[in-house]
Amino acid sequence: MKAALDTRAVVRAGVILVVVALAVTLYSTFIGGAGSDSSRAISAAGATTSTITTTAINEAPNTPLIQAGVNTDVATATAPGPAPATSENNRLAQNIVNGITFGLLLALASVGLSLIYGTTGLSNFAHGEQVSFGAVLTYFLATSDKVSLPLIPLKFTIGLPLIVAAIAAVLISGGTGWLQNKFLWSPLRRKHVGVVQQMIVSIGLSLALVNLLQWWMGGGKLRLSTSIDTRHHWGPIDISNQTIISMVISIACLLGVSWFLLYTRLGRATRAVSDNPSLAAASGIKVDSIVRLVWILATSLAAVGGILLALYEQATSFDAGARVLLLMFAAVTLGGLGQPFGALVGSLVIGVVVEVSTLWLPPDLKFATALGILIVVLLFRPQGILGRSERVG
Amino acid sequence: MDFAGLLTDAGRELFAPTTAAFALAAIGLNFHFGLTGLLNMGQAGFMLLGMYGYAITVREIEQHDGQLFGITMAAGATVAIGFLVAIVLAVLFGLLLGWPTLKLRGDYLAIVTIAAAEMVRFLGRSQSFKDLTGGSTGIRGKDFKGPFESLSPFPDRQVTIGPFTMHGSVSTSWWLVVVSWSVVALAALLFWRLSRSPWGRVLKGVREDEDAVRSLGKNVYGYKMQALVLGGVIGALGGVLWSFGNAVAPDSMGRPTTFWIWTLLLLGGAATVFGPILGSALFWTALVIVKGLAAMFIPTDWLAPTQLEPFSLMLVGVTLMLLVIFRPQGILGDRRELAINDR
Repeated sequence: MKAALDTRAVVRAGVILVVVALAVTLYSTFIGGAGSDSSRAISAAGATTSTITTTAINEAPNTPLIQAGVNTDVATATAPGPAPATSENNRLAQNIVNGITFGLLLALASVGLSLIYGTTGLSNFAHGEQVSFGAVLTYFLATSDKVSLPLIPLKFTIGLPLIVAAIAAVLISGGTGWLQNKFLWSPLRRKHVGVVQQMIVSIGLSLALVNLLQWWMGGGKLRLSTSIDTRHHWGPIDISNQTIISMVISIACLLGVSWFLLYTRLGRATRAVSDNPSLAAASGIKVDSIVRLVWILATSLAAVGGILLALYEQATSFDAGARVLLLMFAAVTLGGLGQPFGALVGSLVIGVVVEVSTLWLPPDLKFATALGILIVVLLFRPQGILGRSERVG
Repeated sequence: MDFAGLLTDAGRELFAPTTAAFALAAIGLNFHFGLTGLLNMGQAGFMLLGMYGYAITVREIEQHDGQLFGITMAAGATVAIGFLVAIVLAVLFGLLLGWPTLKLRGDYLAIVTIAAAEMVRFLGRSQSFKDLTGGSTGIRGKDFKGPFESLSPFPDRQVTIGPFTMHGSVSTSWWLVVVSWSVVALAALLFWRLSRSPWGRVLKGVREDEDAVRSLGKNVYGYKMQALVLGGVIGALGGVLWSFGNAVAPDSMGRPTTFWIWTLLLLGGAATVFGPILGSALFWTALVIVKGLAAMFIPTDWLAPTQLEPFSLMLVGVTLMLLVIFRPQGILGDRRELAINDR
């Protein structure tokens, strides 16, 4: 069995982080003016924005916070002197924060995808639906509107508190993972159905599930939380309470999964199966129970990701997961297929790239950028950032 | 809805232009998957690219009063140039896709083709190219269908043949039916000839055992590339024919469309000449029948009319799963010629 983490892989990830950091610094120094200048500009603009915000609030005490936010935007945009550069810097910092948030949420989903790939060899196209399922189920349990189940002509309200609903949804999602493995994937593996065949089965499952979700909840946007969110302004960064909570929860989950994979017996066994299933079986690891565990873990994580994504995007819908499925694949491929930590790094890279690209490209192309990166990565480094260089093909 | 009406609707689907367009796309996929074993999950991207190529070219020529580089074009020439552009785009897209992926394992090709097809869709529906592609609303039919419809030998009014009434030459018309099924017949003939040619035998060899073919001195990469490009071109033609009956709409060529093509190919039988055609006809007819029967027999408070579409498409997904698990060779296929294997 391998050491906890391949040292070369860690070095490689470090190198990439340094390169990204360098690129960002270079960008801010060259495009955003000289370093000292820009920092002064930031503080100056920060001062102006805060004064203007306060005046705005003073002038109209009942103005909601959102409008004050609009005012600050206008203020920075119209402020004379170094303001354009500052707003560019502000937007860069803001987008990087957004990107890290999005990347963390993406990581929750893609770590599971990667674990499933690693242990069973299956590229699970239905994983996006697990993400939407978590979010939609939370809506179902938490909303105060009337809801119903497919084919049952009864309308009722459940209206659990959001946190309880979220926990229940995560548990039920984990249950669907267990069910799927027991009644679909495990029999297929026993029948020695090929991996490619299983992949097409997962595509059929994805098609069935996405339409089931649409049938269940309709095609509209579903809002998990209707409360108005408090926003904080920290220097150039504008961040909402919900986003902070999402980040904390996702970091906690990811740390938990990392700890599980690195330091528990089961986690080590999981990595062993991921490395080489036959060898793991030969050394006395129960491959089947590990795979079952991985399915439960992956679907639960996907549900957590879906719920947090719904809070981050302020709404969910039946195709919320389907829209990010390819970004998950991009992240997993970028990090190296079957490497959970690679999926983590890949998700962060994809998240930051997707958000930062909106500085130069129109926002409706941000997903296309990520897919472009996926193709370029496959050209030059098909095994991904953390993947071992082996012949794939 | 009554049974007779439902049967007529179902019968119309048997020969509708949409059925032909999907049969054509599935024949293209059959070159990829049935003959060569390539997992192309982006056939809808080829279709979309084809229809953009045709529609934009024809629209530009029309807007310049039928002139291209100062030469006045006849309607036939305009249509021909439109098809040519569609084909060239599909060839380039195939080359671009194949270059990084054909040396990799099968599932990489699947992920990259699906990503590339989605990229085409994202670019097409982006507001930044609104002048060219019409953004998310796409290109309206009347902007590009004119030259094709003016070639129609059929009368310019509704024509009834047997129980079926369609327009003679506009949009989903008898003219389009004749043209699309002729193209399908040609493509099926091409598939039949090529799959029995030495070239086709090499492709089948690649499907069965790539390394064995390589050891015989064949350039496997080149053969795979040729299959990818040829199938993609046929898919693009299917896209153009589809747009004649509808309009250029990027969002109807998303991932689900590719999955439908896969479902109907596997339903009819991969690696067979008539599999894609039978599959497409069955797929669309069954969809109409399921929706009709569900609307008739399931009370609306159980299944509202708006839920019929997701309900029937859910059944498509289930069909795909069941087919792959229990009868991967489909209706006409041969289990020994099964292209789904690990590589």
